[in-house]
Amino acid sequence: MTTHAAIAVEGVARSFGDVHAVRDVSFEARAGSVTALIGPNGSGKTTLLLMLATLLEPDRGSIRIDGHDPVADPRAVRRVMGWMPDVLGSWATLTVRQTLETTARLYEIDAAQARVRASELIDLVGLQPLADQPTRVLSRGQKQRLSLARALVHRPGVLLLDEPASGLDPAARIDLRVLVRRLAGEGAAILVSSHVLAELDEMADEAVYIDGGVTASRASVEASRATVRDWRIRALDPAALTAALAELGIPTSGSDHLGVLVPVTGEAEAASLLTRLTAHGVGISAFGPAVGDLEHTFLDLAKGGRS
Amino acid sequence: MSAWITGLGTIASLELRQRVRSVAWIVLLAVVFVLVGIVTLLLWFSLTRFGEGSLDNAAIYSSIVFFVLLVGTLVTPAVSGGAINAERDAGTLATTQVTLVSASQIVLGKFLAAWTIALTFLAASLPFIVLAVIIGGVPVTTMMSSLGVLVLELGVVAAIGVGLSGLQTRALFSVVTTYLIVAALSIGTLIAFGLGGLVNQTEVRNVYIGLDYSGEIDPETGLPEEIRCLEPQVSTYQAPRFDRVWWFLAANPYIVLADASPTTFDRDGYPEDLFGGIGLGIRQAQIPPETESTYDECEQARNGFKGSNDYPTPEEIYASTVPSWFVGLLIHVILAALALWGATARTRTPSKRLPKGSRVA
Repeated sequence: MTTHAAIAVEGVARSFGDVHAVRDVSFEARAGSVTALIGPNGSGKTTLLLMLATLLEPDRGSIRIDGHDPVADPRAVRRVMGWMPDVLGSWATLTVRQTLETTARLYEIDAAQARVRASELIDLVGLQPLADQPTRVLSRGQKQRLSLARALVHRPGVLLLDEPASGLDPAARIDLRVLVRRLAGEGAAILVSSHVLAELDEMADEAVYIDGGVTASRASVEASRATVRDWRIRALDPAALTAALAELGIPTSGSDHLGVLVPVTGEAEAASLLTRLTAHGVGISAFGPAVGDLEHTFLDLAKGGRS
Repeated sequence: MSAWITGLGTIASLELRQRVRSVAWIVLLAVVFVLVGIVTLLLWFSLTRFGEGSLDNAAIYSSIVFFVLLVGTLVTPAVSGGAINAERDAGTLATTQVTLVSASQIVLGKFLAAWTIALTFLAASLPFIVLAVIIGGVPVTTMMSSLGVLVLELGVVAAIGVGLSGLQTRALFSVVTTYLIVAALSIGTLIAFGLGGLVNQTEVRNVYIGLDYSGEIDPETGLPEEIRCLEPQVSTYQAPRFDRVWWFLAANPYIVLADASPTTFDRDGYPEDLFGGIGLGIRQAQIPPETESTYDECEQARNGFKGSNDYPTPEEIYASTVPSWFVGLLIHVILAALALWGATARTRTPSKRLPKGSRVA
């Protein structure tokens, strides 16, 4: 398994008239890992993905997908890249199976193999009961799964997923996470965009933060990760916990129905806090960051951007 | 190359599977069949009342073929329009564009599918065309040429429909624009031809040398006994220059259809069927009016009115002019090719620009 950059983006910009959708985006995503593309609505995520997916030409900057330039050689990129758009379009009168077979044919896979691949993918995304139904009867979540299957038809080494989990029920989200992790385990480079951060937290190895069309630098991401944030502590005996914290002289920033919130800077400080509390004889049942890593970094970056 | 053809075929069959299964297509097909049938019956009852000449039977045939062209050009924009922009709206175009098929395969595949669907409407009216040929005793060559032109003309309309659906963002607008182009070719060319001819007028000078009838008249010949010429009378008037605008009319699909069918002439050199008559009209329009003409009645009287008729027969006009159907068809094919080329350029990715109104982020 190689670890070279499967997706390499350098100084990319794209505007539509006066709207500068993407101003300056640079990042790398490695094969075998899941990279989260995080940003608020309208931050340029979809525009960036359209450029990566060979649909849109950047005004400036360079993009390499598995070493190929999507502008100079879109065909080479298309061979290795699977794209799941945020718009759920499907050929309404075709069945799920026909849709996948046709997509395979469009990827120059011969008819016999296309049939085999369609069946494999139907099993993979769990659409067996609907395989021979026209796609117009599918629910939003089912269309989402069909869209994912379509992106996987030609076994791409680079996978671009635009909001893959929106519209999925909790069970399907877990299935998606397991599938994405498995594909990464098999060596694919996966870029997942979303604004639902909790969902990305669970599957991403790395994160690219984008706001106003600009990616946050590695340094500012590191800095944001290290800033103070709340950890939530739950004890068997809440009173004992409050007492212990007071005794140790540790300030709290409030409490909620799940536990007490304590501001902590960095993981080392969190570890030492836990040690001290247990040494104090408090029965701790839960100890963890109150907000996810990605969310914390994202919110901190957004704050930094505004101040 | 074979991979290219396969991709083209996949796109065409995908398009056909989506459209041919629709109820709308079957209903339209039935409507066309019934409509052409009714028109055939009506034509039969109305035209056969005037007599039994071969011209009447040929007229039934010509009218049916014209009607089939009318129906075909009305239905084709509906089935070809929106081929590309509706898919762009639905989000299925982009997922096709990221596969290995090229923009030209997408556009040409959709065009082939639209043409095929248009031809199913021609097939639905074929029984009545064949019936008219058999009963009317129309030459098979005429039928072959009419069918050939019908097939090509439906292809042209399908190409313009698909092309505009690639060039315009909204499906509704592209369908309407296709109808407008069909109307411009079918009716607009007639108007342009008429107005163009009237605007472009040339002064024609006519010299008339009369005979003096004031003396004794020979009762047998009705001519004066002593032939005396009068002073030449010069009159001038404006003549429309249809020869400068005839190609407007040549671009009319109905004229193409009429002019393309091989014409047979009678002994006096006149066309024997309706298509030939229409063809003759457009051929005559190519000939510029004579700006200088002389009618010397006096001279003719001296010759005893012999050998004076040097006007060309229609057959001679036919032979001396440009086959206008060829010009018209060429104009149509160029229009169709331009539309498809434009659509391909707009569908090519990675694109520099997004169609107006598309979502960007």
